[in-house]
Amino acid sequence: MRVDGFVFADDRLMARLRDDPALVQVANVATLPGIVGASLAMPDVHWGYGFPVGGVAATLADGGAISPGGIGFDINCGVRLLRTSLLRGDLEPVAARLADELFRAVPSGVGAHGGQRLAQRDLDGVLAEGAAWAVRHGLGNAEDLELTEERGTLAGADPVAVSDRARQRGGDQLGTLGSGNHFLEVQAVDRILDGDGARALGLALEQLVVLIHCGSRGLGHQVCTDHLAVMDRAAGRYGIVLPDRQLACVPLGTPEANAYLAAMAAAANFAWANRQAITHAVRGAFGRVFGAGVATAMGLVYDVSHNIAKLERHQVAGRELEVCVHRKGATRAFPAGHQDVPLRYRAVGQPVLIPGDMARYSFVAVGAPGAMELSFGSTCHGAGRDLSRHAAIRELRGVDIAAQLAHEGIVVRAQRPDLLAEEAALAYKDVASVVEVAAGAGLIRPVARLRPLIVIKG
Amino acid sequence: MGAQERSHAFLPHTADAGLVAHAATLAELFEEGALALAELAADTAGAAGAPVVVGPLAADDLAGLAFAWLNELIGIAESEGRALVRAQVERVEGTADGWTIAGSAFLAPYDAPSVRARRQVKAVSFHRLGVEEGPDGYALTAYVDV
Repeated sequence: MRVDGFVFADDRLMARLRDDPALVQVANVATLPGIVGASLAMPDVHWGYGFPVGGVAATLADGGAISPGGIGFDINCGVRLLRTSLLRGDLEPVAARLADELFRAVPSGVGAHGGQRLAQRDLDGVLAEGAAWAVRHGLGNAEDLELTEERGTLAGADPVAVSDRARQRGGDQLGTLGSGNHFLEVQAVDRILDGDGARALGLALEQLVVLIHCGSRGLGHQVCTDHLAVMDRAAGRYGIVLPDRQLACVPLGTPEANAYLAAMAAAANFAWANRQAITHAVRGAFGRVFGAGVATAMGLVYDVSHNIAKLERHQVAGRELEVCVHRKGATRAFPAGHQDVPLRYRAVGQPVLIPGDMARYSFVAVGAPGAMELSFGSTCHGAGRDLSRHAAIRELRGVDIAAQLAHEGIVVRAQRPDLLAEEAALAYKDVASVVEVAAGAGLIRPVARLRPLIVIKG
Repeated sequence: MGAQERSHAFLPHTADAGLVAHAATLAELFEEGALALAELAADTAGAAGAPVVVGPLAADDLAGLAFAWLNELIGIAESEGRALVRAQVERVEGTADGWTIAGSAFLAPYDAPSVRARRQVKAVSFHRLGVEEGPDGYALTAYVDV
C-alpha cells in the first residue's frame, strides 16, 4: 500500500463491512501508482470489482495512474433531479395514468433500443457535446445545462476514440433508462432538513420532484471494456504490478491514458445527453397529464455524476496539487464558494443527490467544507447494497413487491415485475444511516428527504 | 477420475454476479461460460438462435482470452439487439504470443415466445477472473457487472 485506506463509517456500518471484500479492495486501490492522501471508502461502500463501489482515489496528474476500473463500466452513471410546480395532492387522482405515460415515454429494460436512432454524424455530436447537443436539438433549455455538472459537456472528448462496437451498442439507446438499479421515480419532498438550502434549491414540503438514475448505456460499457483490455496489456510495460487485474492502469500522459480519457469523456457526454433526452420525455409525459404549463415549469435542480474521473485541484499535505480524482460510486460534493458550483447555488454548495431505495426515501444534500478537507470533494452516491441479487430473491420468494409497494401508496411500472425483488428495499442499507455518517463527517449538509410515489424500473 | 462434466453455477456478489463454469476441454469451458452468461441475461430455454461469427480473438493468457470472449459475446448480442442463447467454439489454441479463440454466438430476438429478458449484462470484469486447469478438466470463474 502506498497510502492508508480510510473508511467513512460508524460502528454499525463498520460491523457490516468487517468481512466484506470491499475492505480488501480499499487496500488494493491504495497500491495504485501516484495515489495521494488515502484510498477512500464512502459510507455506502460495498464489494465491487477492482475498486469498491463507493471508492474514491486521487492520483497525481503528473505521472500518477488512470484506472478505468476506478470509473466503472457505466461511465458517468449519475442522477438528476427535476422540480415541479405540483404538490403531492395533485398526483393522487392521476398517479396510475402518469406512471403509464412515463413508462411509455422512457424506454426501459434489457434490449431497450427504443431511443433515438442517431446517424453517425449526430452520434459524433452527442459524444463531443453531451447535453449541449441535446439542448441544441430541442431536448431541453439553457438552464438545464447551467445546472448540470460540467454543464453537461466534459472537455477533451474525442468521438474518434470511441470504437465501432461501442457505437453499435449505444447508437439507438439515447433516451433509454436501462435496467438493474437504474430508475425513474416521481417523489414528494416529505421533510425539509435545511430551510435555507431547500429555498436555494427551489424545494418545498409536499412538492413533487422527479429523480432519474442512469448512465451511458452500452456505449459506455464498451468504452470501459475496450480500454481495460488495452491497459491490462500495457500496465506491465510501465512496470506496474497490481493485486487485481481490474485495477489495470497506466500513467497519465501516456498514449493509452490519453486515448482512454478522450473516450471516457465522450461516453460521459453520451450519458449527460441521455439523461437530458429522458428529461425531455419526462416533461412530455407530465405535459400530457397536467398540461403544457406544468411541463414548462419543470426545472432542473441538478445533475451529478457518480462514476467518473476528473482532473481537479486539491490540497494534499498542505500543497495544492492537480490530481485525477476517480469516483466509483461516489458523488462530487463541492462546498459553498467553490468556483465549479453553479452561481445559483454558490452560497449554499453543490447539490448532492443520494437515492435510497424504491420503498423508503432518498436525500438531497449540498456539499460541505469537510469534503474538500477529507475526501477530495466527494461523498456517498446512494444507500449501498446490503444483499446480493440472489440473496434478495431468496429472501423475498413469494412476495409480490409491486403489491406491497402499492399498499404503501407507491405505483410501480416494471418490465419484469418478478425481478423487482433484486432491487427491493431489503437489498439496500437504510440510506438515512449513510447520509448521517456523511453529514457527521462534514462531507455534506442534508437539505431534504424525498419519498417515492411512482417507480419506473427496467 | 473421469473427465469433468460440463456444468456452471452462479456465485454471490453484493452488487453484481459471479459465475463458475467447469468442462473437460477448453472449448467446452468457453462454451459453458457463454451459457452461464446467457442464463444471467435471459431465459432462453427452447430457443435455438441464429449464428453470428465471433472472432478470432487473441489474448496473452487464458484469463485474458476469457475476458475477450465473454465481452465479445455481450457486445455482439447488444449490438444486434438480441439475446445470447449459447455459443460454439470452433477452435481455441495456444500461439507463439498467447492464445486465440474463434466461434459463433447464437442469438434469438427478445420478442420470440421462448425468450424472456432477465437483466442487462454490462461487461465481464477482470476481478477474480481465472481459468484453472485441474485433474479432470478446466474451471472458469468470472464476475459480471449487471
